[in-house]
Amino acid sequence: MNEIWKAFVDFFTSLKLTITLLALSIILIFWATLAQVQLGIWGVQEQFFHTFFVLNKIPGTDIPVPVFPGGYFIGGLLLINLVAAHIHRLKFTWAKTGIQLTHLGLILLLVGEMLTSVWQDEYQMRLDEGQTKNYSESYRENELAIIDTTDANFDDVVAIPDTRLVPGKEIQHPKLPFRVVIRDFYPNAALQMLDQVPSTPASIATQDIGARIKTIPLPLTYKPNERNLAAAYIELIGPQGSLGTWLVSTQLIKTQTLEVGDRTYSLGLRFSRHYKPYSIQLLDFTHDVYAGTDIPKNFSSRINLTTPDGVEDREILIYMNHPLRHDGLTFYQAGFDNNDRTSILQVVRNPSWMLPYISCTLMGIGLLVQFLISLFRFSKRRRVQA
Amino acid sequence: MRLRITSLIILGSTLLFSACREAKIESYRVAKEVAPATDPAADMANTAVPTADGHDLTWAAPDSWEVKASSSMRRGSYTINGSDGAIADMSITAFPGDVGGDLANVNRWRGQIQLPQIDAATLAQTSTQIAGQDLMLTMVEMANPNMPDPQGILAALVNFEGSTWFFKLQGPDKLVGAEKNNFIALLKTVKGHNH
Repeated sequence: MNEIWKAFVDFFTSLKLTITLLALSIILIFWATLAQVQLGIWGVQEQFFHTFFVLNKIPGTDIPVPVFPGGYFIGGLLLINLVAAHIHRLKFTWAKTGIQLTHLGLILLLVGEMLTSVWQDEYQMRLDEGQTKNYSESYRENELAIIDTTDANFDDVVAIPDTRLVPGKEIQHPKLPFRVVIRDFYPNAALQMLDQVPSTPASIATQDIGARIKTIPLPLTYKPNERNLAAAYIELIGPQGSLGTWLVSTQLIKTQTLEVGDRTYSLGLRFSRHYKPYSIQLLDFTHDVYAGTDIPKNFSSRINLTTPDGVEDREILIYMNHPLRHDGLTFYQAGFDNNDRTSILQVVRNPSWMLPYISCTLMGIGLLVQFLISLFRFSKRRRVQA
Repeated sequence: MRLRITSLIILGSTLLFSACREAKIESYRVAKEVAPATDPAADMANTAVPTADGHDLTWAAPDSWEVKASSSMRRGSYTINGSDGAIADMSITAFPGDVGGDLANVNRWRGQIQLPQIDAATLAQTSTQIAGQDLMLTMVEMANPNMPDPQGILAALVNFEGSTWFFKLQGPDKLVGAEKNNFIALLKTVKGHNH
């Protein structure tokens, strides 16, 4: 038992491990930098850094295999290595205060990055002037929303994330009187009217506009100014049999409805929504340019923040470097559209946002302290010699 | 022995963390949303279809053609008003891929004005190549005088950066014939590389 424990300790506190992990991280970062050309920043973060292993498919198959340790593996092991070495070799002396502080800062930086990768969420809120919204939307995730719209005052929403839309799978939910069978799913697709495309077989959709549309699968795009527009064919099967097959897509804005018994449902594929306990109304969006040029000077959104209970009802100006921080979220002025009539806010949740600042400060202080200690000892020795 | 035990423990713990969890289905109640005013004819959202990063064709339309609002399916849309109340429609559309190829599309248009299908050899003989600013377009002309309301189509196709662009003028045969020079003039202004 003692031998096993010693082996454990020796492994996790070894300097050889640190050097190996640093070398691996150099290779990983270099590889990811080259891959970013094709994958874009989000693709690279997902495939190289926010993962334990970098996965590649076996050629000719769909089977992923780990080929290299990923960010979580290397970063996690580095963190364990640093903490374990600290604890194992900790001898508190004033002479080493600076080094201890620097290492503490580094530990905090690694922990902060791990927390950010786990906790951070980013959404967007598109508001036309005068429009009020109480939800933000995901940039990259979609959901199949089946909404019971029977009641005049409220909607009952069942939101199925797009990762559950696997062709051939069935989904059942207690709030729905039918099973949802996924006939097909395209993470990115273009839609065309069937009568504009020659010699095409009939659509598998039997209901609504889907029956008149051809879906063309497209490769996923990783470019930052393009969005993947998903589409899916879903069949709804009730107790009496199939109710039909619908095409749902983020490109179809007209609501598709069906009646089951005395209830009315609407179907749609939309960007994943995150509802908030407050509403934001865009009062005015302004886009100033420097006089006589087209160079943007300022973008700002004047919004009204309200809560249903009336506690909050205030006007706020959001502009560059002046986001709104409210309820654990930060609203940044991110973009605009529609000839300055639509404002796009980026909504970020990052509870650990302070950690990089704290850790850099700690590391800076630690280095400074260690330098001053060495300087003091050096000058003391010089004085003694003299 | 030492190395085997430690590596087994590390592997085991990382596999534990890598276990996939299925995304949850959410269900909740929200207040009724005031639906944004949408044009009932606009079934598809005006979302930028891939080719939205400046890789589009440009063209200059004749002044006599009236600009219509384009939808996400049409890149350009014009109405041509004839002297006797006749109206022709000019549409400019683009689709990813080759959309079946030139012959299939020409036969589709022929079918729209009740003309019989043609083969590739006839198409090669009857189509004309028109030079745009920096690309070549294939133009076809068709008319059916035997219809109760004789219709004609002037159309051009070009492949550009993985998409197929269609320029199609359709309407009463006489009006389409009268606008042929304007149609060719537009095709000559078509330009591909704008960056």
